[in-house]
Amino acid sequence: MATTKFRHVFGRLWGFATSCKKRTTSSSNSIGTRILQRDVEKEEFQFASTLCLSSYYSVFVVRLAIMVMLAILIGLLTILTWHFTKIYTTKSLNSLAYDLRYELLQRPILRMWNILNSTSEITIAQVKLSQYVIRSHGNLTTQEDQVEMYEAMRAVTWALFASRKALNSITVKYNNGFVQAFHRDIKDNNTFYIYSDLANYSIGASGYNSELNYSSLSSQESSWNDNDNKSTVWYRQPLDPVTGEKIEKAMQIAPEDSIHIAGLSQVPDGVASWRVAVSKFTDSPLLSAALPVWDSSNKSIVAVVGVTTALYSVGQLMKELVELHSGHMYLTSLEGYLLATSTDAPLLDNSTQPPKLKMAVDCENEVIRLGAEYLRRSSGNKFPPSHEVHVANVRLGHDRYYIDSFFLNLKRLPLVGVIIIPRKHILGQVDERAFKTLVILISASMCIIVIGWVCILILTNGVSKEMKLRAELISQLEARRKAEASSNYKSQFLANMSHELRTPMAAIIGLLDILMSDDCLTNEQCATVTQIRKCSTALLRLLNNILDISKVESGKLVLEDAEFDLGRELEGLVDMFSVQCINHSVETVLDLSDDMPKLVRGDSARVVQIFANLINNSIKFTPSGHVILRGWFENPNPCSDNANFLMEEKKLQYAQKTIRAKQHENHAKRTSERDKKAVLWFEVDDTGCGIDPSKWDSVFESFEQADPSTTRLHGGTGLGLCIVRSLVNKMGGEIKVVKKEGPGTLMRLYLRLDTAGDATEQHCLVDIANNGLVVLLALHGNMGRSITSKWLQKNGVFTMEASEWNGLTQILRELFHARSSAGINNGFDVHYPIPESLKSRLLSIQEIRNPVFVIAVDIGLLDLSTDIWKEQLNFLHRYLGLAKFIWVLNHDTSNTIKLELRRKGHMMTVNKPLYKAKIVHILEEVIKERNHEMQKKNMDELHESDYTHCDAASSDDSDISESAPCNPVSSTEKFEQFDLLSRYRINNCLIGLTDEHSEVKTPRKEDSCQNNHNSPKSMSAEQAYFPREAHQGEDSERRGKEEHRIIGGLARPANGKKSLEGLRILLAEDTPVIQRVATIMLEKMGASVVAVGDGQQAVDALNGMLGVEDFRRDSNLNERNTRSSSPQTEILSSPSYDLVLMDCQMPKMDGYEATKAIRKSEVGSGVHIPIVALTAHAMSCDEAKCLEVGMDAYLTKPIDFKLMESTILSLTRRTTS
Amino acid sequence: MDVVTQMQRQLLQYTSSLFKEGFLDDQFNQLQQLQDESNPEFVVEVVTLFFEDAERLLNELSKSLEQESIDFRRVDAHVHQLKGSSSSIGAQRVQRVCIAFKNFCEQQNVEGCLKSLQEIKQEYSLVKTKLETLFKMEKQLFAAGGSVSR
Repeated sequence: MATTKFRHVFGRLWGFATSCKKRTTSSSNSIGTRILQRDVEKEEFQFASTLCLSSYYSVFVVRLAIMVMLAILIGLLTILTWHFTKIYTTKSLNSLAYDLRYELLQRPILRMWNILNSTSEITIAQVKLSQYVIRSHGNLTTQEDQVEMYEAMRAVTWALFASRKALNSITVKYNNGFVQAFHRDIKDNNTFYIYSDLANYSIGASGYNSELNYSSLSSQESSWNDNDNKSTVWYRQPLDPVTGEKIEKAMQIAPEDSIHIAGLSQVPDGVASWRVAVSKFTDSPLLSAALPVWDSSNKSIVAVVGVTTALYSVGQLMKELVELHSGHMYLTSLEGYLLATSTDAPLLDNSTQPPKLKMAVDCENEVIRLGAEYLRRSSGNKFPPSHEVHVANVRLGHDRYYIDSFFLNLKRLPLVGVIIIPRKHILGQVDERAFKTLVILISASMCIIVIGWVCILILTNGVSKEMKLRAELISQLEARRKAEASSNYKSQFLANMSHELRTPMAAIIGLLDILMSDDCLTNEQCATVTQIRKCSTALLRLLNNILDISKVESGKLVLEDAEFDLGRELEGLVDMFSVQCINHSVETVLDLSDDMPKLVRGDSARVVQIFANLINNSIKFTPSGHVILRGWFENPNPCSDNANFLMEEKKLQYAQKTIRAKQHENHAKRTSERDKKAVLWFEVDDTGCGIDPSKWDSVFESFEQADPSTTRLHGGTGLGLCIVRSLVNKMGGEIKVVKKEGPGTLMRLYLRLDTAGDATEQHCLVDIANNGLVVLLALHGNMGRSITSKWLQKNGVFTMEASEWNGLTQILRELFHARSSAGINNGFDVHYPIPESLKSRLLSIQEIRNPVFVIAVDIGLLDLSTDIWKEQLNFLHRYLGLAKFIWVLNHDTSNTIKLELRRKGHMMTVNKPLYKAKIVHILEEVIKERNHEMQKKNMDELHESDYTHCDAASSDDSDISESAPCNPVSSTEKFEQFDLLSRYRINNCLIGLTDEHSEVKTPRKEDSCQNNHNSPKSMSAEQAYFPREAHQGEDSERRGKEEHRIIGGLARPANGKKSLEGLRILLAEDTPVIQRVATIMLEKMGASVVAVGDGQQAVDALNGMLGVEDFRRDSNLNERNTRSSSPQTEILSSPSYDLVLMDCQMPKMDGYEATKAIRKSEVGSGVHIPIVALTAHAMSCDEAKCLEVGMDAYLTKPIDFKLMESTILSLTRRTTS
Repeated sequence: MDVVTQMQRQLLQYTSSLFKEGFLDDQFNQLQQLQDESNPEFVVEVVTLFFEDAERLLNELSKSLEQESIDFRRVDAHVHQLKGSSSSIGAQRVQRVCIAFKNFCEQQNVEGCLKSLQEIKQEYSLVKTKLETLFKMEKQLFAAGGSVSR
């Protein structure tokens, strides 16, 4: 029961401890999860780890405490259990043992008492009887009387003697010396009658005795008795013990030989006397009593009666008792003489004569002797009356005993009874059991403690292991955090470094540009400088890549979220790359499906960067063939009618793969539906060397290239694709290399972009179809041609294709055979058999009523190497009336050809590549023109001029923005129509310039800019046409022309015109130094500047609240400024500004606030004044902030002359229209 | 004429030493380029402006830092201004110390700020002496009838 109890207690304790532990671990655990979840601060971390460690140690301490407590508890329980069992048993047993001992001793004492009583009774009876007999024989005068009396006495005495078996003897001694005695020999069980010789006793003697005066008796008696005894003869006659008959003859014995006869000396004062006597015949002490027998007158003692009782029976009883209970008992007199013992040890000391009683301390029995000695020691010699001793635990010899003594106060014979019982007898079992129990308890509790400890160890071991693991985990997290921090440092370092590196690079490039614009260089020097310029640009690009990657890695890349025209961006991209590809025989084709959303929201620069990198890569590895950028829209609500031919083609081409792709798309679709974002799929397909399938994944890693040798061949760092993947992932998309039939690589990616407005609307394929259009595509590149052709066919336009000059002529002849009856005979007319397919086509075309022929001729089809092209041109010119010609020019098409075309009236020219938007524009133009034509058919011949105008407008599309004399109404309309596109092109160039310094940049733009610098041909093409815009038209158009001139001036500042001529710029800058510097810079560029000291003034100035006087008063700088700046009057007259340069950190109102205010005031007015931020912060987040508040661009201090110029130009050009 | 050439050479050497020792950077070149017939005294003007501005800012800074509770935002704004103007004239050593100062400001490190202020003052006085010497030499050159060749 005790064990269950403490098990219970132990269990509760254990539960408490574990709950404690759980609490601590759970708290640390929660911290741990927090640690896992986010990147915590160092302090927090340390706190957590110390907490964990402390809890770890506290668990250790708790474990120890529990173990110690357990040990103490079990020890206490053991001791208590043992104690209670022992004490209670001992107590009850002790009381029991006391009773037993008492009882045991009571019995021999009672026997003794009985003996004493019976002895005294018999003595009294004998005395009474003797008196009676003696009195009845009153006068003993004769011998016979005497004999008769003796006989009577003998009979009476015998009767008494026989009645008491315990009596040892009864003696009667008469005063005349006659002795009558009965003696019982207990050992032999013989009974004797002893008497003295009667003859010796005279009557006289008896008479003398009777006359004897009592007073004189005492003096004479002893001597008489002694003498008498010696002289008398005694006889002993054995008797039958039962009947008393004499069985043998009497033997003569010496007096007092066998028994002691009580004489007168024993009763000196006539009172009964008690004593313990020792007989020489028995080895046990005798108790003898003596009483005198008085005569009738009570004056003299007639006889003395003595009764002797052996104490042997008491010893016997003791023995019997002791046999039953073991132990020892003895009775002693008050003086310490042994009267009876329970042992066989002799009670008499035989060494002395006569034998004397032994003292208890001299007893031969060791136990009794030791007990007696102990008693004597404890209570001294004087044993006090009525003193009882009860000692429970006395060591006698080797054992322990109980000693109890009782005092028996008999009259004249006080007795002491002692009982010595070995403890073993009573408590032996108990002691043994108690000892065993103790041993068992101790061993059991030891076992339990050990087991408990082991259990605790095992249980807490798990916990401590967990804690150890946790601590380890924490330390490892710490290590990981450190590693991440160091990696972060690395990224940070890279970002900073590349940032720092770009500044000198910008300086280098700028200086090189200055150098190159100098005319004083020799050709050789110029070539070297150009080379340096190229290398610097490459280095800058590399730095930009590194910066991009580190930005992405450090998570600092923030994607812009602005609406942009995806199609136009991509067209611009393809335009640019097609320029780049001219030297390779690579065709760059853009193939966007019709359902692509026109406007999407996202970071246009980054999207362009993705494709620029991809296409750049493709071009790099494609020596010949084509690079196709395909794009299609995954409609969240699938409509079958939107399925474009592209998809169909793809299905045919990659039938086996579409399933997988579909699954992928479906997945993407599902997620997109959730985000309400459009999933745009793109493919970049090239016919280059391809990528080994095992490298498909690794090419997207940093510094990874499919083939190490590519670095040697093509250069590059392998960062491009890594950036692409990072960006794509950032836009919620994926990119991977897809298996492709044939050589080359097919990269497929999807982006998740917000579509702006109704994105899925089918945009303006207005009425290309059903207008009887027949398009003859005489284009060089197969891929582009077939894609265009397919797209046109899909939109209901008849197309025919020709890939070379001969094919073209053949088709032309076939087409116009019937119509142009004028026999065409030309050296170029080589007859080829017409393929059947073409024939059927021609037939079907002939069925079209009132067809409009549009012939797109690649300038490359003409033989430009010789002068044959002129002949060819003449040949085609013949068809001018029958069909519309669209000339697809290369970027490097020489001016002479262009001039020739123009001279001949071929006004519709586009630059390669010919993508959808261009075709749509052209065809729309054609249709409009035709309609126009038909309307005005009957009116006048004015259509001729209109015609040219339209051509001019169309050609606007291709950089050759030419404003020919035209009808004002239609010209503005058309100008605006194409304006967007052309402006975009120019902007691209300008942005390209600025982008070298700003962080948003793509290789494409640099390339285009590079192109501007490096390819004099294209530049000259522009410049050739700009000066011709000397048309003095409406005021509304003047601005635009100015811009054109400015662009010319930018490209070649040496032509004497200042780049920013006529611009009015508001400069908000508080630092006077910078204000001054910037003012001078801007003025140098030809702009007129108004400087204000803070944002508030800037806002006021823009709102026209600030008068001229205020300018002057506000800042003395302004005075200088106004003094020095010549176009002051202009500013005064029209306080509108073309641009604001806004410092970000200014007193009163900072740049951000000011911009916000300005933008706010602009709301509704439709005006958007470009605001350029000036800031000393060079981090991208500042840029983001700037753009966020509505600024348009971003310049860092110190102000870079060129950078500022280009930025301002790009912005003013963009906004002023 | 000999004197003029010698002076010209001295000036050139001095200017290049200023660039080499890092007192000035490219921005100063840009400033000099901006100076032309219409603004003959442009560099001097701007640099003087810078001196005025810098001295004002340094005073403000000393005052701000002497206060018991330092308004770090204010200090930061001042340092930012100083950084902007120093970078605009190309005093790049001042600018560099300004960057360090700004960092201390962000950490709200008073000791660092005070140290940086001392450094800035030192650098500023250095660059001031150097530039003044430069201008003096230029003036002498002009007075001697020479022109600064760039």
